[in-house]
Amino acid sequence: MSTSGSRRFAGRVAAVTGAASGLGAAIAARLAAEGARLVLADVDRAGLERVSAAIAERGGAATIAPTDVTRDTEVAAMVGAAEALGGLHVLVLSAAVEIRRPLVETDDTDWQRVLDVNLKGPFLCMKHAIPLMVRSGGGSIVALGSTLGAIGQPGYAAYCASKGALVNLCKQAAVEHAADGVRVNVVSPSACDVGLFARVAEQSGRAEQVKAMVASNVPMRRLGTADDVCEAVLFLASEASAYVSAAVLPLDGGLAARRQ
Amino acid sequence: MIDAGTSLAGKVALITGAASGQGRAAAVLFAHHGARIAIADVNDAGAAETVRLAQAAGADALAVHADVSRHDDNARMVATTVARFGRLDVLYNNAAVQMSGRLVDCTEADWDLTLATNLSAIFWACRAAVPHMLASEGGSIINTASVLGLIGSEGYAAYGAAKAGLVALTRQLAVELAPRIRANVIAPGSIDTPRFRKVVDDLADGEGFLRGLMQHVPLKRLGTADDIARVALFLASDASAYTSGCVLPCDGGLAALR
Repeated sequence: MSTSGSRRFAGRVAAVTGAASGLGAAIAARLAAEGARLVLADVDRAGLERVSAAIAERGGAATIAPTDVTRDTEVAAMVGAAEALGGLHVLVLSAAVEIRRPLVETDDTDWQRVLDVNLKGPFLCMKHAIPLMVRSGGGSIVALGSTLGAIGQPGYAAYCASKGALVNLCKQAAVEHAADGVRVNVVSPSACDVGLFARVAEQSGRAEQVKAMVASNVPMRRLGTADDVCEAVLFLASEASAYVSAAVLPLDGGLAARRQ
Repeated sequence: MIDAGTSLAGKVALITGAASGQGRAAAVLFAHHGARIAIADVNDAGAAETVRLAQAAGADALAVHADVSRHDDNARMVATTVARFGRLDVLYNNAAVQMSGRLVDCTEADWDLTLATNLSAIFWACRAAVPHMLASEGGSIINTASVLGLIGSEGYAAYGAAKAGLVALTRQLAVELAPRIRANVIAPGSIDTPRFRKVVDDLADGEGFLRGLMQHVPLKRLGTADDIARVALFLASDASAYTSGCVLPCDGGLAALR
């Protein structure tokens, strides 16, 4: 984790979904390091406790909210946890699942699971969080999209559909709630050396080969890092991006510029 | 306190159109973040004032007279910058002209000037700057396009075409110059700068125009030069180290609505 020394989020409350591991955990840690009080949401309670302990060890403040983002009542409880901390100023939508399967082999269960977590989850989170953000004087929502929300990739039918739809859901939320002082933006990473892609690479049994192959296809010749993602998310969460809303910030080493 | 991610300490930035508005705001913000700065503009008095502001922020700064619509001025401004500071890390192509007029009323002279200033100038500046960027640590190119490069709007045929061309040129730069040079676009919406105010003041019903405009801006305000400068700082700095070929609207949500 990089330590910037600044405390851009002092006095702010931030909720992060998918916070038990990977990018969500890294983003939560950075927000806490920069002064935010955190609500950590995930289905993985043990993971949340580890991340929360690590944040506390560095002098940060985090509350855990075990949450399945596909369940309305659980999302409402997560937002309630933020309200108990005094409001909500930053919401990072990082919870996601990835199923690698071509369209014709994607069964209804897989399809529904990906759409529920990656699209309905952000919908429910925004639906419950925005009213609290408005009561808190406004805020910033940052959703983790994907390069695959903008370009096609063989074998990722449901995932591509969910991330593409997420982009327009966020644009819609942005224009609908801009006048309320709520900004909504998307960060779209390509393959990173942490998170879903890294996990898939590890499972392949030849992780380094897979990572090198994917990196070689990126104009910048490397994978994204947790630091790359954290800097982008914190930029969009902070006042540095005060006039930026409904934007998609690619974090892909130039990949999409070559493919569109 | 300055976030380490957005520090420009040790870096040299060349900003065109920096005698006022967005370019000046960026020069001052970059100065606060440790950069040495070359300020290029046709307006020498304005450039001198930006130099003074950047120096007051603690930076070494230099004014360079340049009419970016002229091929040779682009090469010269890059050479002058490198001669003074010894390197070039950030090229921020901010200078532009904006002439409105429907396509059928757009004169050939207006078309040529718009395309030269808003598109060819960036090609010329990048061609001159890239070898110097590669000679040190690589760098970041920031090109100011416009939401009018993304969406259509009545009366901006030449301007919209040039800005859309700039978006495409930037994607090309990003792919071709990776991994050592990043290239990104800022697409501002309506920004409250002296130039914008002059356009509004020249209208018969400026206030009515502004009210109409606000109906299309979800955030319900004009942007400020500082709004754009903070986005430019993000793109100039290592905070955006893995972002290239990106078009980042800074428009209060305008493009999404349209």
